[in-house]
Amino acid sequence: MKRSPAHIFRQASTAAAGAFLLALCLFPSPAFPVLYIDINAPDAKRMPIAVADFAVDPGDPSLSRGIPKILSDDLALTDLFELIPPTAHMETVAAAHFSGKPLSFPGWKMIGAEAVVIGNVSARGDRLSVEMRLYDATQGTLLVGKRYTGTPTQLRSIVHRFANEIVYTFTGVRGVFGTEIAFSARSGKSTGKEIYIVGMDGQDLRKVTDNRSFNLFPRWSPDGQWLAYTSYRAGAPNIYLRNVSTGAEKEVVRFGGSKAPGGFSPDGVWLYAGVSEAGNSDIYRVRVVGGAEEKVVEGWGLEVSPSPSPDGRRIAFVSDRGGSPQVYVKTIGVAGETRISNGTGYATSPSWSPAEDRIAYTARSGGRFIVATVASDGTGTREIASAPDGDCEDPSFSPDGRSLVYTYRKSGYSALKIISSDGRRQRTLVSGLGDAGSPAWSPGR
Amino acid sequence: MKRSFPWKRAALALFVSALVVAGCAKKQTVKSEGAPGAPGVASAPAPGAGGVTETPVQETPSSPVAASPAGSPPAEPTVLAAKAAEAGVAVTEEKPSRFEDVRFDFDKAVLRDDGRKACQVVAGYLGKNPRAKLLIEGHCDERGTAEYNLALGERRATAVMTYLVSLGVPKAALSAVSFGKEKPLDPGHDEGAWAKNRRAHFILK
Repeated sequence: MKRSPAHIFRQASTAAAGAFLLALCLFPSPAFPVLYIDINAPDAKRMPIAVADFAVDPGDPSLSRGIPKILSDDLALTDLFELIPPTAHMETVAAAHFSGKPLSFPGWKMIGAEAVVIGNVSARGDRLSVEMRLYDATQGTLLVGKRYTGTPTQLRSIVHRFANEIVYTFTGVRGVFGTEIAFSARSGKSTGKEIYIVGMDGQDLRKVTDNRSFNLFPRWSPDGQWLAYTSYRAGAPNIYLRNVSTGAEKEVVRFGGSKAPGGFSPDGVWLYAGVSEAGNSDIYRVRVVGGAEEKVVEGWGLEVSPSPSPDGRRIAFVSDRGGSPQVYVKTIGVAGETRISNGTGYATSPSWSPAEDRIAYTARSGGRFIVATVASDGTGTREIASAPDGDCEDPSFSPDGRSLVYTYRKSGYSALKIISSDGRRQRTLVSGLGDAGSPAWSPGR
Repeated sequence: MKRSFPWKRAALALFVSALVVAGCAKKQTVKSEGAPGAPGVASAPAPGAGGVTETPVQETPSSPVAASPAGSPPAEPTVLAAKAAEAGVAVTEEKPSRFEDVRFDFDKAVLRDDGRKACQVVAGYLGKNPRAKLLIEGHCDERGTAEYNLALGERRATAVMTYLVSLGVPKAALSAVSFGKEKPLDPGHDEGAWAKNRRAHFILK
């Protein structure tokens, strides 16, 4: 068929318009998930999210609001979400919503929610089944859904897992709900100190040791199953390895005088420790199975507090070889150490971030102790936690590197606090226990 | 000319419009995949409503999670536990001494003149009582990190031990232990208290 110029022009212009629009749409669209939250943006907008009352059948009706409250409380700890209050919710979630019936998304959007969580619970005797789903209310799409089964005592743990999924979905980094902090504190009026564990949400505080001596320096194995710690229960400071679930214990590090565990190698094979021989403390590592030892750092100074890097190739540690305690970094098997604290005053208690190449430590500043972070080459020091009238000490990073737990002390009063790694938000984790200190954040669950 | 329906143009417009809607929107749809962020968990994709991929997953928490040890005490034979508890309580209590403490400057493990004099008294006693055994405890004040103070206390105890040996006390009569900052003599929070707590303490066994 003969084509007129007008006809050709119309076809060409349509094609050109199409091609132009196509190009416009393909560049640049990053393949990020919907509702991506940039956790590094200084004033990131909070994600408005609604956690609907759960459908419960069978089970205690109080679970309907009780479980969403656990989940909402978790999400509120992150400062990433704005929770739409339940009084604003209009739609009642039922079992049908988990077998094909769609939610009424316009209704959720109308009350301001960009994301909705729904849940279906079935609690029969000793079996608990919870299905939870996270929806993008704007697109009406399912982002992540999980069904969990377990016993009723595992309810909080199940909710924490899904909260971690939600955080992962929006930020690309798994949440740390369900993780725990081990620490040392005085037990009641006793003069001794015991090891305690508490959930990162402040719940489930419990005592791990009960021998009424001094139990100090709890440190988690990478699989979260064991705690290494120093105990005086036999009269002198020995290092024990304790299985957190079963309570089974064994002594590791069978040489030297005073000793304190540092961190484990990431493969769980080695425990690093500071051990004194003839009055001089050096850094050793000891095979968890078998006890074979290697000296890692020696010197005429006191070397203590080894903290391995996430890849296990380097350690941060403390040495007073320069006259006062300072933080150093060393590559295992390579001679030489680099000082990363500024050389003045006092710097101790290094904790290597699991997420970036920075180390948190305790520094002396203006007559008191503060928590600071520094890059592993010693540059870019940042003050994170300080108090005008007290001391902030002994930082330990969360497994996602986004928070630190530390000890706050002020003439006789002590508390454990959690602070965001940028220092902007903090909360009290535990207070009221005497002389609480030496906190260690467990690995991810 | 008879016009047929402009199928091609309509199809192109529809196609482009679809791309506009899908691509130019600020947000893009995510396919929910297997089990992101949940390592080691198998997932079985199941068809869901509206053609969206859903993955309900059977996940069973692997261990008695967050189980409180209350009701499952550590497996220790009763006799050993009792002995350990006794030793434990004993180790936290300050034992009075017939000898004066050796005092130290802040962050130092060097004997001062007063410390040397105190050691000489001890050495004199041990010379007259050759079967006596002596435990030297090293202590620090409350400031600073506990691990560093544990090592410093050991250094102080060892410094005293070395000096006693130099005064003729047999090494076999001596042992040392550090308590770091865990057992302050004076619970105060001022320099007066701290000075008393930076010490080596002598216990006859």
